[in-house]
Amino acid sequence: MSHVNLVAFGIVAAAFAIITLVGFASARWRPAEDPMRLNEWGLGGRGFGTFISWFLLGGDIYTAYTFIAVPALVYATGAAGFYALSYTIMVFPIVFIFGPRLWSVARARGYVSPGEFVRGRHGSQGLGLAVAATGILATMPYIALQLVGIESVLTVIGIGSTSGNVVLRDLPLIIAFTVMAGYTYLAGLRAPALIAFVKDILIYLTVIVAIIYVPSRLGGWGHIFSAASAHLNSVNPATGKPYGSIVVMPAGEWAYGTLALGSALALFVYPHATTGVFAARRRDVIRRNAALLPAYSLVLGLIALFGYMARAVPAVNAGVKADGNNPQLSVPLLFAHMFPSWFAGIGYSAIVIGALVPAAVMSIAAANLFTRTIYRELLRPYATPAQETRVARVASLFMKVGALGFALVLNKTFSINLQLLGGIWILQTFPAIVISLYTRWFHRYALIVGWASAMVYGTIQAYRTPGGGQAHFGASSTSLFGQVTYIAIAALILNLAVSVVLTPLFRKMGVQDGYDETKPSDYIVDPTTAPTRAKTAGAKTATTVPAGASAAAPADTTVATGASTVTAGATAAAPVDHAVAMNGAQPAATRTHASAGPGPGNRRH
Amino acid sequence: MAQPASASKRPATRGAVMVLLTVAIIGTLFVPIYARSTPKLGPLPFFYWYQLIWVPGVGLLCWICYLLLKTRPVSRHGGGGRR
Repeated sequence: MSHVNLVAFGIVAAAFAIITLVGFASARWRPAEDPMRLNEWGLGGRGFGTFISWFLLGGDIYTAYTFIAVPALVYATGAAGFYALSYTIMVFPIVFIFGPRLWSVARARGYVSPGEFVRGRHGSQGLGLAVAATGILATMPYIALQLVGIESVLTVIGIGSTSGNVVLRDLPLIIAFTVMAGYTYLAGLRAPALIAFVKDILIYLTVIVAIIYVPSRLGGWGHIFSAASAHLNSVNPATGKPYGSIVVMPAGEWAYGTLALGSALALFVYPHATTGVFAARRRDVIRRNAALLPAYSLVLGLIALFGYMARAVPAVNAGVKADGNNPQLSVPLLFAHMFPSWFAGIGYSAIVIGALVPAAVMSIAAANLFTRTIYRELLRPYATPAQETRVARVASLFMKVGALGFALVLNKTFSINLQLLGGIWILQTFPAIVISLYTRWFHRYALIVGWASAMVYGTIQAYRTPGGGQAHFGASSTSLFGQVTYIAIAALILNLAVSVVLTPLFRKMGVQDGYDETKPSDYIVDPTTAPTRAKTAGAKTATTVPAGASAAAPADTTVATGASTVTAGATAAAPVDHAVAMNGAQPAATRTHASAGPGPGNRRH
Repeated sequence: MAQPASASKRPATRGAVMVLLTVAIIGTLFVPIYARSTPKLGPLPFFYWYQLIWVPGVGLLCWICYLLLKTRPVSRHGGGGRR
């Protein structure tokens, strides 16, 4: 790649300019009465309906890295890479089951991150901290991988990689990230929510055109599959075995299934996914989206097939070889060789914007975790909402700088290894977050010990797994009871086993359990409130919990006594009225229902 | 106001929802069902078109479950009475 593809670059630059405008404009989209609340900056006011949530969640879960890495895996190993489709199929029933309960308790208690829920449910700062730290740790390399996705596009366009200087070489990447950091700082979750519209239009356009046009140029699907199986069946000189297979072999079935299930369970507890869930307006928004989001999985499945298309183009194979056998380039190279420059530019824009949207949501999610579980718990217990918002904004910048550092300074393999570890780590928060939605049976310390042992086991096991020419972190699966199993699932089993054994033990020993600040009714609450209002006070009133009764009191008290008290309490108490709910941002409509002046603990109805 | 959502539904409905969602997960979790190349759909081996068909399938199952669990907007008047 010596010459720069100016047309494609021009289109990518133009698309970037457009989303930058959209990003900054989003600060004024669905304006909040008081933007200096974490609820506003970090969750877009918890007011997103089905339509916006569909774009936000879709733009958020289906990252650019997925669009690069999944076809790259299919390109290199065949059917095994398709686990990603199976995983994005399984994730929706999981979201459907657990999502509404998590949403309700977060809404009722004013939680903006899963760490807070765990802290409140188990009365354990330590467990909350463990969940928050795991989330932040797992998210950082995930953001870094989005940059790797952008890098692969820039490489194919012909930008970068020429200078030895890190800053010069990656200048476009640094600019793109800095600008994104700017509008995320300003507008919070509203920015990626609005940009997701642009991203998705470009992705759908690219995929539909590619899936129709490319096979016709390559002599049809029959030719594509025969070229792919010819490669996969040939013997890899490095291992002495075939490169892969066109259908999963019996020996690989268990690994395929556990990888898909583990990834699906992990995705649900990744902070960026929970942030998308928390930002929904109502429970039904989550359920409807579980039914509608599979549209993206279809796109993912088609994109996975790009890997086979790329295999059928000799020029792509040559290009991949020329870059040190880097299959990550297969999709960008496929676009370069199959499309005219201008349309390749549209495809590249889709990938670049598709990297920026999740990176923004992830940095916000990590910032929410930090602010509520670390800053407010450990550093400044009586932080005002405005202080929280400021801290979260700065924390989001730190996340991005950290991720940029990861991507630029450390080598790419290291980011990918860390991402592999991230998936293993994040799944270990599943018992504390998801099982706790249903039962308080587990002892808080048993959960902490279970989590810690699984983290250690998972990390060591991943480190000890060779593969793909690497001595360590070579694969995500390991042998367990004679079956090749995804390490995260093996670690989860250990996690649960330890927690189950230790819980009765700790009880018998009389180790004190924590205070549960949630109530059974919190898990099914579905307030049809005007969501851009202060949710904390509103939900408190709705569930008739006197403010100050719980450990989460500091922020709540501030809200309840603040200037927006009237609308806050009143909208929560308003009769269920879809017109009100649909126009959540209109104070006039909501005030109509403001029947009485609420206050902390003022019981309505 | 708080609306009891799924909790207010009859056990039969909730049971049906659990069955449908379990089917949706097992459909691609149990790999031996579809780890084979025949019958082909045109040039596509079974392995691929089976999973691709499951995508709208799982969407449909989730939508049915959503309809089953949907809370009717009954509490339009004096909502909050049900607790």
